[in-house]
Amino acid sequence: MMAASNEVNLNESKMVVPLNTWVLISNFKLAYNLLRRPDGTFNRHLAEFLDRKVPANTKPVLGVFSFDVIIDRSTSLLSRIYRPADGEQPQLNIADLEKPVTAEVVPVIIFFHGGSFAHSSANSAIYDTLCRRLVSICKVVVVSVNYRRAPENRYPCAYDDGWAALNWVNSSSWLQSKDSKVHIYLAGDSSGGNIVHHVALRAVESDIEVLGNILLNPMFGGQERTESEKRLDGKYFVTIQDRDWYWRAFLPEGEDRDHPACNPFGPKGNFLEGIKFPKSLVVVASLDLIQDRQLAYVKGLEKAGQKVKLLYLEQATIGFYLLPNNNHFYTVMDEISNFVGSDC
Amino acid sequence: MSLYSSGTSAASSAGSSVSSTTKPSEIDGLLAGAGYRVRSSDLRHVAQRLERLDAAMVNSPAEVSQLASDAVHYNPSDIASWVDSLLSELNQTASLPSDLPELPELMVGPGLNQTVLAEDAWTDHDAPQHQQLNNQFPVMTAMEEDSGIRLVHVLLTCAESVQRGDLAFAGSLIEDMQSLLTRVNTSCGIGKVAGYFIDALSRRIFTPQGVGFGGGVGLDPAYENEVLYHHFYEACPYLKFAHFTANQAILEAFDGHDCVHVVDFNLMHGLQWPALIQALALRPGGPPLLRLTGIGPPSPDGRDSLREVGLRLSELARSVNVRFAFRGVAASRLEDVKPWMLQVNPKEAVAVNSIMQLHRLLGSEPSRNSPIEMVLGWIRNLNPKIMTVIEQEANHNQPGFLDRFTDALYYYSTMFDSLEACTLQPEKALAEIYIQREICNVVCCEGSARVERHEPLAKWRGRLGQAGFRPLHLGSNAFKQASMLLTLFSAEGYCVEEKEGCLTLGWHSRPLIAASAWEAPLALPDANSPAAAPGIFVNPHSNPPINSL
Repeated sequence: MMAASNEVNLNESKMVVPLNTWVLISNFKLAYNLLRRPDGTFNRHLAEFLDRKVPANTKPVLGVFSFDVIIDRSTSLLSRIYRPADGEQPQLNIADLEKPVTAEVVPVIIFFHGGSFAHSSANSAIYDTLCRRLVSICKVVVVSVNYRRAPENRYPCAYDDGWAALNWVNSSSWLQSKDSKVHIYLAGDSSGGNIVHHVALRAVESDIEVLGNILLNPMFGGQERTESEKRLDGKYFVTIQDRDWYWRAFLPEGEDRDHPACNPFGPKGNFLEGIKFPKSLVVVASLDLIQDRQLAYVKGLEKAGQKVKLLYLEQATIGFYLLPNNNHFYTVMDEISNFVGSDC
Repeated sequence: MSLYSSGTSAASSAGSSVSSTTKPSEIDGLLAGAGYRVRSSDLRHVAQRLERLDAAMVNSPAEVSQLASDAVHYNPSDIASWVDSLLSELNQTASLPSDLPELPELMVGPGLNQTVLAEDAWTDHDAPQHQQLNNQFPVMTAMEEDSGIRLVHVLLTCAESVQRGDLAFAGSLIEDMQSLLTRVNTSCGIGKVAGYFIDALSRRIFTPQGVGFGGGVGLDPAYENEVLYHHFYEACPYLKFAHFTANQAILEAFDGHDCVHVVDFNLMHGLQWPALIQALALRPGGPPLLRLTGIGPPSPDGRDSLREVGLRLSELARSVNVRFAFRGVAASRLEDVKPWMLQVNPKEAVAVNSIMQLHRLLGSEPSRNSPIEMVLGWIRNLNPKIMTVIEQEANHNQPGFLDRFTDALYYYSTMFDSLEACTLQPEKALAEIYIQREICNVVCCEGSARVERHEPLAKWRGRLGQAGFRPLHLGSNAFKQASMLLTLFSAEGYCVEEKEGCLTLGWHSRPLIAASAWEAPLALPDANSPAAAPGIFVNPHSNPPINSL
């Protein structure tokens, strides 16, 4: 009985994504099933073994080069910086890495990779590739933060690391545009999208200006089961059960999913009325089971009078942006380009 | 590149993800960018296997957790074989659901699914890998001053002048750099390593060619080197990782054998072997007879240092009831060793252990009957059950001086950076001298004097494959133990990574040392057939490897 409905689920997801995407995401799903233990612990060694990683490369590949920087030695916080190559440079030496940007305005996107707070790293192949595409399509500099992960490092570690990265970027003179300011945007997918919101919130109280937030299939939740969760449970690679596991791994012990980290506009949430919060671009996939929570987030921003654009993608599943083999990928890249380009 | 369209069935999706110009044997490019190797023509099969695995996992949740904790995983980039190995593990405890349609082309279990990787799996993607490695940067600290960056700039300009032959100009830059040095923090980071490189460059510029590395304190260089090596061993985890990973692989290879023989290409103080002896002592079924042949330079003063090490190891073996025999082979160079000196018995299972020795056999250019070919040839003829190869993950054997210099600058910067975390003295200071000697050899020496000819894993794979060796994949168990070892011994920042069956240890995101394992099956009677196809994956836990030729 179980097998039959599972088979239906598998067939449904195969209908809506290209085959190589299906293989990629199913592979992750199965690997991740092995890594989450029922007792809430995580098989980190196996996770690191299975994760495909790539080194940074100062030699431009398709016009983009990258290098790693330690932002905070005390927490071993690394970030990978991606920059567009300047014309014909065959080999970059260290003096070129932090050469000041030459254009009038170069948006700097601080990127937080996904992985439901537990998986992946800044040097995971899927995210290295995504960041490179962001640079070449949107003409930005990307700073991809290797934040600490759950369950070993619970809330608020990921947010603390995001905050440290924001400060570092803001004070890096070589990232300034011609107006002597760093033009900062925050972006992230899944848990990375959640981090974007909370780092932007922290920035409100400071004198660091974040020009915009980009949330790609952001990870939010709540105690109550929403309609989309019930309807889409297990159908498109993701289950309610696994979502619950990741929240239990990230949130402080004993807290439920109405904790503001998980449910920012929920019963315990903060209200954002009257504060200077960055404009937001929120991308929601129609086949993502947590879309009700994501849509509620957008509503929350609207009700607080904050500027937000919702991009709702029909027939898109989680991870659609990992491979550039579908229209949604290009739609999203265009939207991001416009979003960061409109502040010149 | 296909455009997404909703409601497409899986069949046409398969078609649409392959462009009309892709040959079926080609690897799917988009998945390759994600770190996975799947042939476009295999996508459908792999998808079916994933579905089967999904169904099997759904039906036996209890077995899944056992699978998660006990199974050993190999080479996750090859999705097809990874999924099959999981399926076969699950099959041993649960049966497949009967309501899935019969898929005649699907094979489950070891057998055929240890696919012969196409040639391209080993060579195709080596080029970009190689390219990437060419420009590995040290992980920079956020506090790099302008002077530090300027210093590096001058260093590279100086190296470039040396390459052009303009030694006068290069010499003038030495002075500039020495004054810049006074303005940077020389106790850590780029300042520290720059000092050593300035020193090495000035030796090269101002001293006649052929001078050996280092400037000894008057002691015998081989003895000095042993002392420095020992401190390097203590100060940072690179050698411990090497020993540990090699021992793990050797132990597995020796499983089921009663007479085993380890040939160590560089005995030193035999630091690697107590752990293996103890592991063999605890082996279920009892220890084998262990023979150890240790190769090392001859001692100058009549001491037989090899024998002394052998005696100590014998005592240890006796204390844990392992029958043990030691033989020392004194040779100044590995190419002087002849196989008959090792007295290998055909009934023994042989393990050849090479920790940072093979690169010493390389020359600047590939040539026929070169020392490396000769040595690999006789190793192969020993039909070792396993050869463990640990090498620096660096590209220090490039013909162009500037390229070599640049790579070394970044490689050793990262290594020095990792040493910062060490607080043990004098271990740290002596480890730095050990590294400094390597730097000097890479930068100052040429010809036969330059022995530190490090090449990256991708190149070794090609070389060893061509010499008739087949890879033995290091799995998740070795990975896990190496990671755990690191948390015990070392600072945050070291990381172990898996890459196509090999393990690397690095500092932050830069791999610095690579460990791989190989076997050389019996040579085929037909002299005209090529050596065993490179790239055949063998799971040491499975049935004996299928001869593919």
